[in-house]
This record gives sequence, structure tokens and C-alpha cells, in this order.
Amino acid sequence: MKNFTVKLTYVISLVTLTLFLVGFTWTLQNQFFSEKTTNVVVKEEMVKKDQNDQNKTIVALGDSLTRGTGDIEGKGYIGYLVEELEDKTNEKITLQNLGVKGYRSEQLVNQLQQTGVKEQLKNADLILITIGGNDLFQSGQTIMDLNLENIDRLREQYLKNLGKIIVDLRVLNKEATIFFVGLYNPFIDLNDAALMTKAVRHWNFETSELLDKHPQTVFVPTFDLFQLKVNDYLYTDKFHPNTKGYKLIAERVSSLITW
Amino acid sequence: MINLVHNEMLKIVRRKKLVYVALIIAVLVSLFTYAQFKEIERRIERVGSIDWRTTLQQQIIDTQNRLTSSGISEEWKGQLSLRIQQQQYYLDHNVNPMEPGAPTFTRTFAENSITLFLPLMVMVIAADLVSSERSAGTIKLLLTRPVKRWKILLSKYVALILSVSIIIFMYGFLSYMISGIVFGYQGWSAPILTGFTSEAGELITSSAQMIPQWQYLFMEFSLVWFVAVIVGTITFMLSVLIRSTPVGMGVMLAALISGAILSNMVSSWETAKYFFMINLDLTAYLAGNAPPIEGMTLGFSLVVLTISGLVAILISFIVFIKQDVY
Repeated sequence: MKNFTVKLTYVISLVTLTLFLVGFTWTLQNQFFSEKTTNVVVKEEMVKKDQNDQNKTIVALGDSLTRGTGDIEGKGYIGYLVEELEDKTNEKITLQNLGVKGYRSEQLVNQLQQTGVKEQLKNADLILITIGGNDLFQSGQTIMDLNLENIDRLREQYLKNLGKIIVDLRVLNKEATIFFVGLYNPFIDLNDAALMTKAVRHWNFETSELLDKHPQTVFVPTFDLFQLKVNDYLYTDKFHPNTKGYKLIAERVSSLITW
Repeated sequence: MINLVHNEMLKIVRRKKLVYVALIIAVLVSLFTYAQFKEIERRIERVGSIDWRTTLQQQIIDTQNRLTSSGISEEWKGQLSLRIQQQQYYLDHNVNPMEPGAPTFTRTFAENSITLFLPLMVMVIAADLVSSERSAGTIKLLLTRPVKRWKILLSKYVALILSVSIIIFMYGFLSYMISGIVFGYQGWSAPILTGFTSEAGELITSSAQMIPQWQYLFMEFSLVWFVAVIVGTITFMLSVLIRSTPVGMGVMLAALISGAILSNMVSSWETAKYFFMINLDLTAYLAGNAPPIEGMTLGFSLVVLTISGLVAILISFIVFIKQDVY
């Protein structure tokens, strides 16, 4: 018995040793001396539509508001919105949150070119967008030196990008309703807020006008939500909403959704 | 010579060392299989989809969000952005990097254990090869035989290489068999991308190639084997140099663990790349992950490891032949 075990050990060890030596030589050959030709081919698409149509798929695009920055629970308005919708319907809701903190409109344009993102948007029943906050406020730069000409320039650029975003979305998905969450003025209780308020209102107005040109596309205002007692609804950074603020936005969006 | 090797193998087999190593591996594989199973369950619940594209896309988004947070270092940022680019490449080419199945599990498990767990298993065999003969006093019996000293040491070394090969084989075999119970045994021919390189934080895909998973596994395990042989050789040297087996093991363990820790923080200390323990993660090159220090390549690491191994052998033989035994 002992002898057998030893013999078996020999056989296995010698075989595996040879195998590893061959493998090692081959690896060296493959990694260092093989022809550097690109032989990566795109595999055939075999994406199947969502398994069952009972489920509702929500795809959320945008910036930190979509991510939920400032919310202690980390859910953001999307999270609370889904919770409310789940109470309302029996359907299973699947959420895909593609928001990235700090995104500006041109980055969203680029994101929409990605294959994976496109696939998800094709299957979406509902598309939610928050974008533009970083275009306008430029992480606080705009408020530091208020200048209407500058804001006009930013807005033109943003509207161009937004137009492209909506067109791209509609190419991918003709049926899904798009909800676009508008901007609020986080600086409304500062001394010279009038100018900023005007800029934000103008920004929102132009945005909703652009969205009006597309069917099934809804502009959701949030300006009024943060108009009074803005500090009750803002996170300590005085820019992002806090949990309460996010819940307000979620309530508003959820009241608009009909399947 | 063959008799001498046979003698050494007998010692290893009789002490059931290989059996213990197999048991440890089996227990660990079971644990990780279960953990992975739970993880997948949770992911399905969270993302609500079993489609890997959705999961991968979500991972990309999550990483992008981590990139924007201010608290992370530049090096880490570079690695993250490299990972995003690679995942995007997988997505663009419609290749699932984590095709479910036992081969994929075996692959990732080997990637994760090449720097610490497998070297540890090799140490179980190598650490007392010479020093135990010393502490038990049997070395005198061995050396009084009419055989040259270098032959005795060589026979021990050959036995070590044979055992290392068995360990690596057992490792692959056990993780395949055990994880297959849960994940299924399929997936040998799933495509895997390899040959990525990076330059200044940009992923270079010009030399990327798509190979079936079995080829990738073959390459990966031969690299794992190479690392195991080098670690075994260095442990072997310590076993010659240091009388006490626990101390020898302690030294080697300290080296390995410091390597694992240093890899995470030395990116600014460039000369650290000449340490053998920084260079153990050979499979990372195959997968195209960013190396711990900019400028390290597979070739570089192989050279460092080979030199470390050769030096270790040289020292072992010189010391063993010259030293007084009493």
C-alpha cells in the first residue's frame, strides 16, 4: 500500500512537472515571441430581450443627484422613487443607476456611446435624467464671479449637448418615457441671489422648451421645492440635497409616473 | 542518485505532508466556493438581472464614481481607470470576463492565491527539508554515507520540485472539482482576453488576443508553478541556513507578507521592484492588471525571480558543502 502511494506520487509528480515545463515554455513563447497580431473579434451579438415583460426597468442617467450624493442612506431620489413605486404597483422594478458624480452634459453624451449603456437603454421602460448642475455651477466657479455672458455661453453649450442626448436616447428607445429633473438654486438664500435665480430659471426654461420638441419627454421642475427653507433640504455642502430634499424630488417624480 | 531522490520522496510521503496540504486546499476551496455563491446570489438580488453585461456595466459605473471621490491617491486612480478601460473593452467585444463555471473559479482563485496562499503551501514542504534533519540529528547518518554532499542536497531539491508540481496540480484539480459542484464544470472554451499592456494610465489593446479559457488556465498555472518553484527554492535555502524550522518559516513568512503589503504602497519607491516578493504576482500580467510599480513587466519579474532562485540555490549548495556538521 505504502509502496503504491509512493509510486503514484512519482507518476503524478513527473507528469505534472513535464506539463508545467511545457506550459511555461509555451507561455514564454506566447507572451514574448508570438506575432503581435490583433486577433480579437467581436463576438456575435446574442442579447436577449428582458426575460419577462412583467418587470419594469428604470435606467437612471446623470450626475451626483442620480448617485445620491448628500443622502445619508446613499439612495438618492432614485432610491426613494423606486421605494414609492414599489408600494404603488405589484410589478417588479429593476433599477439601473448609471449616474456618475460630477458628470457634465458632454460626459453624458460620451457615456451614451458605450455599447453596454446602449443595451440597457434599449430595454428601459423609463429613463430618468439629472444633468446640467455641473455645467451651470462649475463646482462653485460660476457663483464666485457672476457674469451673465459667461452663463449664456455655458447654457448654449449645454443645450447643444442635451439636444444630442435626447436624440440619441430616442434612436435607442422610442417608447420609454423620459423624465428630466430640472435644476434648483442652492444659493437662493445668499445675499445677491437674484441674479443666480434668474440664471437658473432661464436655464430651466430653455431646457423644458428643448424637451417639448420630443414626444414622451417630461421636464420635472424642482426649483419651487427648494425655494423656501432651502437650508432644510440641503446637505452640509450647501449644494446637494439631503435626505429630505431627495425625498421631495422623489415624491414629485413618482406622482408623474404612470405605467 | 535516483535512490537518494526516492529516499527523500519516501520521507515526504510517509509524513503525509502532501495529504495535509490537500486537506487545507480542499477546505479553503469549499469556503471560497460558498462565499462566491452567496456573492452571486446577492448581486442578482441587487441588480435584478443575471445578464453579465448589466453587472459589468454597473461595475464600470461604480468604479467611475469612486474615481471622482477626492480621497484616493493618484496611483490608485490610475489603476482604477485602467480597470474601467479594460472592462469597457470586454463589454465592447461582448466577452464575459466571468463566464460562470468551475474553470473561471479556478482561474480567479489561482490569481488571488499566487502571492500568499500557494507559497504558504509550498513552505509546508520546503521549510524543514534540511533543518529537520539537523534538529533530529539524522543529518549525521545521511552524511556518513559514501555519497557526495552535493548529491544529497540535490536529491532533496529534486524531491522538492516534484512535490511542488504535485501541489500545484492538486490545487487546480481540487478547486475545479469542488467548485464545479456549485457552478458546473463547463466553460473550458469560454474566450478570455489577454495581452493588455498599459502606458501612463492608458490601456493599450493593440497586442490583445482572445484565447479559449483552457489555454489561459494552462499558461496561468505554469506561471503559478514557476512562482511556487522559486518560493520553494528560497525556503529551501533558509532551511539550509537556519537550524530551526520555525525560525526559517517565520523569516519566509515575513518576506511574503511584507511583499503583499508593500505591493500596495510602494508605487513611489521604485527600487523596491528588485525584491523577489514584489514580483510574485505573475498572473496579473496575464490578466493585464496594473503592476505595483510603474514599468514592471512580465519579463522583468521573471528575470528577478529567476535570479533570486539561482542565487538561493548557489548559496544553499555552497553553505551545505562547506559547513561543519556537529
